[in-house]
Amino acid sequence: MNITLKNVSFSYTDSLDDAVIKDLNLEIRSGQCVILAGESGCGKTTISKLINGLIPHYHSGTISGDILLGEKNTADITLAEISRYVGSVFQNPRSQFFNIDTDSEIAFGCENLAMPREEILQRVDRIVDEFHLQKLMGRNIFHLSGGEKQKIACASVAATMPEIFVLDEPSANLDLKTIAELKEIIARWKKAGKTVVVVEHRIHYLREIADRICYVKDGRIAYEWTPAELEAKGAEYAASLGLRCVNLKKIGDARLRGHDKKSVIASGAKQSLHESIVFTDLQFAYNRKFPILNIPSFTLPRNQITALIGHNGAGKSTLAQVLCKKSDAYLIMQDVNHQLFTESVLEEVLLGMRPQNEKTALEILAGLNLEQYAYEHPMALSGGQKQRVAIGSGVSSGRDIVIFDEPTSGLDYRQMLAVSATLQKLATSGKTLLVITHDPEFILNCCSNIIHLEHGKIAEQYPLQGHQEKLIETMLDE
Amino acid sequence: MKLDPRTKLFLAVVANSVILSAPLVYGALMFAVPAILLLLERKWRFVLVFFSVYLAAALGFEHLKTMDVGRVGTLGVSTMMIISRMMPIGIVLYYVMQTTKVNEFLAAMARIHVPTKLTIPLTVMIRFFPTVFDEARAIGHAMRMRGIRLFSLHTLKNPFSILEYRLVPLLVSITKIGDELSIAAVTRGLSPETKRTCVATIGFHVQDVIVFMYCLIVTGSFVIASHETAKQSFVDFLSALFC
Amino acid sequence: MSNIRTTGKKSSNTLVRDLVNVGIFAALYIVLAFISSSIGYIPALIVFSIGSIALVTSIPLFLFFSKVERSILCCLIFCGFFGAAMFVMGQGILMLTISLLVGLLAGVILKVFGKSFAGLFSANIVMSLMSSSMMLPLWTSTEEYLKYTSTMCDAGYVAKLAELSQSPWPLVAIYAFGILGAIVGGLVARRVMKKHFERIGLAK
Repeated sequence: MNITLKNVSFSYTDSLDDAVIKDLNLEIRSGQCVILAGESGCGKTTISKLINGLIPHYHSGTISGDILLGEKNTADITLAEISRYVGSVFQNPRSQFFNIDTDSEIAFGCENLAMPREEILQRVDRIVDEFHLQKLMGRNIFHLSGGEKQKIACASVAATMPEIFVLDEPSANLDLKTIAELKEIIARWKKAGKTVVVVEHRIHYLREIADRICYVKDGRIAYEWTPAELEAKGAEYAASLGLRCVNLKKIGDARLRGHDKKSVIASGAKQSLHESIVFTDLQFAYNRKFPILNIPSFTLPRNQITALIGHNGAGKSTLAQVLCKKSDAYLIMQDVNHQLFTESVLEEVLLGMRPQNEKTALEILAGLNLEQYAYEHPMALSGGQKQRVAIGSGVSSGRDIVIFDEPTSGLDYRQMLAVSATLQKLATSGKTLLVITHDPEFILNCCSNIIHLEHGKIAEQYPLQGHQEKLIETMLDE
Repeated sequence: MKLDPRTKLFLAVVANSVILSAPLVYGALMFAVPAILLLLERKWRFVLVFFSVYLAAALGFEHLKTMDVGRVGTLGVSTMMIISRMMPIGIVLYYVMQTTKVNEFLAAMARIHVPTKLTIPLTVMIRFFPTVFDEARAIGHAMRMRGIRLFSLHTLKNPFSILEYRLVPLLVSITKIGDELSIAAVTRGLSPETKRTCVATIGFHVQDVIVFMYCLIVTGSFVIASHETAKQSFVDFLSALFC
Repeated sequence: MSNIRTTGKKSSNTLVRDLVNVGIFAALYIVLAFISSSIGYIPALIVFSIGSIALVTSIPLFLFFSKVERSILCCLIFCGFFGAAMFVMGQGILMLTISLLVGLLAGVILKVFGKSFAGLFSANIVMSLMSSSMMLPLWTSTEEYLKYTSTMCDAGYVAKLAELSQSPWPLVAIYAFGILGAIVGGLVARRVMKKHFERIGLAK
């Protein structure tokens, strides 16, 4: 089934004057795998919504132009009808599942399409086989990891056997190992002749599968390449467009060119100061038989950025929480919405400050490039800005140790660099930073130490300098 | 032993009504059912703990209610009365929640022709309870980190601010999750206006009939016993039958 | 160039969005209601516990009312769920009926007054009637229980319990406090809506 977008313009408001998509023409032939790449806000997610029918059937706005799936115009059929042909997977595993247990969730789409019971059971069995999900059956979805949830989401969508799959940043919250499993799933779909459209910042896991990459800029397709062509243009070209690295194996030398490399070496030099904070007896368990965290001794180098890596469930978040309790560290959470409370950015920074000093608060904001937003509502800002607000409140709390939980998931290259710069600034201003992350590019960019956590214990700890390859290998192996 | 969700619902409604409005004896007869069923499901510890607390409260109440214990004492006695009412309801609900899978419950609803317009919000509601707690917990953690406490100078000066801090991030968060959830449902063909099929298996068996009859008998006895005329006519009826 | 059309019109898809909102806010409402009413386990504070439910739930209710498209249907289902939860907990058909009536009334108010402050405020007050009725059966059934126990035990204790439930005044107080809680809560909620949700873009 071919996807055709003809002269499509769309705006989320009442008029096409502030259109997000401008006069777009796109043709995706049946069986192709296409990546829609681009910086945040370029309109690639909106294009995906044009394909899966959310526009025009769900989101309010103004549209002109036609969208055709095969011969049918999406405007003429219902969304339920479209869902027979197009399956959608989104980026946040925790808000995609409608049911509580895995079996019901996989059957959900089929049930909605009123397939007969026997057929649904057959399809579920087949999907479970294909996706190797036997271990996940009969379980409570709330107890699954992010990667497992995402696999169930893919299975649920695949069960209705659509012709087209649309995925919106499906790898955003996943670790490298799970991303590899996601890649297998997409490869299988491609092999079965399905059309796959993936909206992504991270192209590396699809470089062997994608047929072409469409670079979206200002609501138009600015460039198009095959993955090989893009890779041939070099890492700097991709970086200048805001794209994450295309080939993970070449990441070591590629991304450390230019100013990036300098800053890593600089922070590496500081290491010779040999000052560190030692924590002892970090433990946590829900019941004594199965301790989640069991670390007799934990050393954190001062004034440096340490990366905490480990597969999902190794206990990283638990370690962060235990550290917060034991040593008065400040945690910047993965979901920043949980820690924004007030009506203005300035208030937010003042909230944790004792004593409250507006001048100091404004200085903190200036240091984070947020002064112009001082009187804006924190929740109205973009994701990256919100994160900086949370960092601001962390700085104003005066705590020495700041922990970050997945600060770069879902960010494009430029945003990731901005976070990296902010963190480095914090480190030089005297804070000790611990970053929980799955993002190897980010680690190579600003971290100077690695701690590898496994099953609640520290498996390894080493400085990044000289160990870059070991890092990549460990992360790919997770 | 598997009961059809409809039976469990019936049991819950009848049992809880009886527990709330009838004397202790009938209430005890009713909540014995889920207690036994839970034992059959091997939830020993729960039943044990429940019974200890319940017996303490119930016996305490029975014993003390006839005595004059002063103003404070009456407070304690009333608390015991409330506990001995609430706990049995708790065990009934615990049983229903623990042993019913959501999809079975919804299949039962669909079987009795509850419209999809009702089952969708019902599913979402049930699925959302854990989410509300998770989000609230994360926000509470963030509040503690910021030093926002229930009884500090700041919150006493402006008492409603604690509501703001607690609820605003929570509402923003669940609104976002809700929007994403709707989208995930709608792109998988969910529509309140078309019919759905259900995979879950449900159906009535012997045990359902037994539980059903038991409920009727207990409720019936209560109704008869508490209405003098009904009681009298029942006694007359029995004597006519056997004499 | 093709004609320009509006998207996202009222349809079964936006109905799903409305229904999901009902589910979410109903879950939140029930959790908040139970937490607030747990003050009521201290019998002396029963009267205040209901007022606190109305107060605390005002903010989510304001947001809920402003988000749903089909007000009457959503309020009806929302209150219906609460009433049904009470019914399953043994509180009887009366509770369910009251809830449905409250839901209908709230929905109609929203339809008539739109999402203006007047509409949200009045609907919120009406909702307090539902949460106030939560205590009703504990009342009526206590009276029946009293009739029974008076045949079994000492009049002194019965007289003491009578303080709690014989006269209708505590019940009136409960409803009054409920309405008071909704009024105060409504004013707080309006401030919160202006201060936060409107600026974030969650409500209009």
